[in-house]
Amino acid sequence: MANNSGAAEKEAHLAHHFVDSEQQFEASKLGMWVFLVTEILFFGGLFVAYIVYRSWHPDLFEQAAMTLDTTLGAVNTGVLIVSSLTIVLAVRAAQINDQRQQLIMLGSTIALAITFMVVKYFEYASKFEAGMLPAGLYTYEGIEHELAPVFYSIYYMLTGLHGIHVIIGIGLISWLMVNAAKGTYHSGYFTPIEIVALYWHLVDIIWIFLFPLLYLIE
Amino acid sequence: MSLHHVLPLKTMIGTAVALFVLTILTVAVYYIDFPDPLNTIVALGIATVKAALVCMFFMGLYWDTKFNTLVLLSSLLFFLIMIGIILLDTLFRDAPFQIYG
Amino acid sequence: MADSGSRTLRIREFPIEENPPKNYLNHERGLMSWLFTLDHKRIGLMYLASIVIAFFLGGMLAVGLRTELWTPAGTFIDADTYNHIFTLHGVIMVFLFIIPSIPAALGNIFLPIMLGAKDVAFPRLNLASFWVYSLGAVFALYSIAHGGVDTGWTFYTPYSTETGSAVISMTLGAFIMGFSSIMTGVNFIATIHKMRSPGMSWGRMPLFLWSLYATSIIQVLATPVLGITLLLLVMERALGIGIFDPALGGDPVLYQHFFWFYSHPAVYIMIVPAFGIISELITTFSRKVIFGYWAIALSSLAIAFIGFLVWGHHMFVSGQSELSSVVFSFLTFFVGIPTGIKVLNWVTTLYRGSISLKTPMLYAMIFLILFTIGGVTGIMLGALSVNVHLHDTYYVVAHFHYVMMGGTVFAFLGGLHYWWPKIFGKMYNEFWAKVSAVILFIAFNVTFLPQFVMGSQGMPRRYFNYIEEFQVMHQISTVGSWMLGVGFIIMAIYLVHSLYKGEKAPSNPWGGRTLEWMTASPPIHHNFEHTPVIIHGPYDHHKPIREFRLGIAGSDNGHGHHTNGDGAHTEEVESGDQTGSR
Ligand code: HEM
Ligand SMILES: [Cu+2]
Repeated sequence: MANNSGAAEKEAHLAHHFVDSEQQFEASKLGMWVFLVTEILFFGGLFVAYIVYRSWHPDLFEQAAMTLDTTLGAVNTGVLIVSSLTIVLAVRAAQINDQRQQLIMLGSTIALAITFMVVKYFEYASKFEAGMLPAGLYTYEGIEHELAPVFYSIYYMLTGLHGIHVIIGIGLISWLMVNAAKGTYHSGYFTPIEIVALYWHLVDIIWIFLFPLLYLIE
Repeated sequence: MSLHHVLPLKTMIGTAVALFVLTILTVAVYYIDFPDPLNTIVALGIATVKAALVCMFFMGLYWDTKFNTLVLLSSLLFFLIMIGIILLDTLFRDAPFQIYG
Repeated sequence: MADSGSRTLRIREFPIEENPPKNYLNHERGLMSWLFTLDHKRIGLMYLASIVIAFFLGGMLAVGLRTELWTPAGTFIDADTYNHIFTLHGVIMVFLFIIPSIPAALGNIFLPIMLGAKDVAFPRLNLASFWVYSLGAVFALYSIAHGGVDTGWTFYTPYSTETGSAVISMTLGAFIMGFSSIMTGVNFIATIHKMRSPGMSWGRMPLFLWSLYATSIIQVLATPVLGITLLLLVMERALGIGIFDPALGGDPVLYQHFFWFYSHPAVYIMIVPAFGIISELITTFSRKVIFGYWAIALSSLAIAFIGFLVWGHHMFVSGQSELSSVVFSFLTFFVGIPTGIKVLNWVTTLYRGSISLKTPMLYAMIFLILFTIGGVTGIMLGALSVNVHLHDTYYVVAHFHYVMMGGTVFAFLGGLHYWWPKIFGKMYNEFWAKVSAVILFIAFNVTFLPQFVMGSQGMPRRYFNYIEEFQVMHQISTVGSWMLGVGFIIMAIYLVHSLYKGEKAPSNPWGGRTLEWMTASPPIHHNFEHTPVIIHGPYDHHKPIREFRLGIAGSDNGHGHHTNGDGAHTEEVESGDQTGSR
């Protein structure tokens, strides 16, 4: 099936069923926003579990939060904020037809995302070692609360699902880089960067909430 | 943000700086002892402001059609419905409902 | 498209080419041209085939269950197998059949055409949704082969974490199918917002599209919660995360909240598209403008919203707090309001219409009767005190079969018959179609009316045996299920027959006014040769039909060129309600 109209060179990206680029761009963006809604509600379920258990056992959450490393959490927050900035600058680079900057910014975003995952890896590793595992595998003895294992289940579900989103993001941005290197994106067409950027910002936003909710309980 | 709107560089950098400041603030506040629920409220308040900044400027809702904002807000509304009604159960499990005394 | 500007468009009437030699069914050939097609009509048709298979499988299981219930003790199935079969029946009917039935099959085929668009906004996503659905189905089949599942379609904890059956693969299957449902929802919302042809304002959108719009909203808002619920359930079984499992300190009632936060709205994913079909059928076969267009359109959205507030009426005896039971019961009654508004508007539309009782209309009438019974019994179940008596009895089984089968399935059949000539370009045999509709209507009531009676007398659901007092009613119900089987066999025969021997269908056999009747039967690959322009409401039967066949004049509009297949797209189309003419 032909997807490119081939009418004019700069219109090569326009799928056959759209009237013009503007319609294609707006439709894609609306579609992405609607998808982000599903993401929010997907995480929302976990936040509900978090809120219910925290309202039942506030003392458990206070104690358990102490075992999380606030510094690492804060560092990762910073890392994601910068990555949000770099990806938005990648969008801008496409808008002003600066291919080199596009590549630099996309590359930095990937580097920051990997940094985030490395930090997460060290965090997880130290938790695993101490036996702070999800409920069924939990062995840690430092917390005096019978539901301590459930806290770690919620912690791992939230951060784990978030981590999976970061990894998916790395994949998507790498794909953007391949295309950007070929010069696919320019001021008349940058929908994919814009869309992936929206996704990436959402990943950032989720972490913006996870950080105080998990690391900053007192 | 339409196809032809170029993102203003200063605004982007400004947003990032604001996000950093708020992150530092939220950590700082963590070490200050507020009376109980206030802590959580402040922490969540700051997080909400940060999220709003990301949505408005990084995600471009500030320049975009208002409908996309509506789409985003609808997700919050339905999340609030879910948690709000579930709390009606979980917080009142042991409370018998009495109308006739 | 932007509503800005009221630039005058040059429009003209486009005559319809009857039965063109090249249509979407035959313009490309070979299996691959189907499996990897991006054409919404072909994807819809593949969905249609899949759900028909699912319905057949689910139906066979149902007949097996009913036959087992012929005698009070075991007849030919043991208790454990019975549990597996009703679970499979439920899972197949809910996740594989009814949820994708109207939106993904009929909706996919007709949404773009009725909007005057060439395709949905994201054709690749559309194809992906079909493949993801198929992958979910593979998981479901795998679970059947590896021990089956005996939890019921609701997968309640703690039983679902303890039972030895293949819960993980089955829930993963449902999880995956949820994604497919989300993809369809996202696609439809973007399509309805951005792909309307000039003049297709919100107020001129056929009500079927309004109902698909409301459905998509529910799919998008509710399905993710099912996703996370099932994921947590999988983790519960795999790792024992203890959020839902009471043995580990978890809360099974919380599971039920999560599950029903999706699944009550999901019953509206099932029924709201059916409402849309009924609106189309009733106006077309009454030759009349629908009564209360906006009331019907907006009540779909109202139902979508209120549907999110009432899920706890499934949990009155679960141990949720009494406060929430009272609140849920109260809120449940509100669902009846927008639903009642719809039924009254349909009935009012019939008043003084020139009704022609063709098969699709017959189904619409059947729907009105059965759905009303289903809805009213739902309200009765929503009453807290009554529910405590009726919960988990055959009364509930009868209620949801009246809404799901009597409502959705019969509306689906009505839609299938209505659009059959358009989809395949062939007419079916009207006589046999009516015979089968009448048999199905009678058989349905024979099957399910006795279940209301048994249920109110205390016959619990999900049991393979029962006390002797109920035998007569169970036997009546079982005979009804066999009659249903006969009705469907007749339908299968005349429908298949029509494909080979049926008369060629004209472009507009029923005299409809919506856009799908303004193109050939079957439609051409790109739906229209021109860009349609709409200047009337979708049901303006009093306006001359040629005024519904307008399009942008001029040759450079989209896919007008036979010579080079994909044409150029350089023109700017500014839409606006004022098209300047007439
Ligand atoms: C007027 C609107 C409706 C109301 C007020 C209503 C109310 C109820 C109530 C209160 C129950 C719980 C009974 C119990 O388990 O004790 C129930 C069950 C059920 N309803 Fe409805 N209902 C309505 C419409 C529908 C529709 C449109 C569908 C599907 C198309 C549907 C499908 C179901 C199903 C599948 C169940 C049983 C779930 C299970 O336990 O397996 N309902 N309904
Ligand atoms: Cu319900």
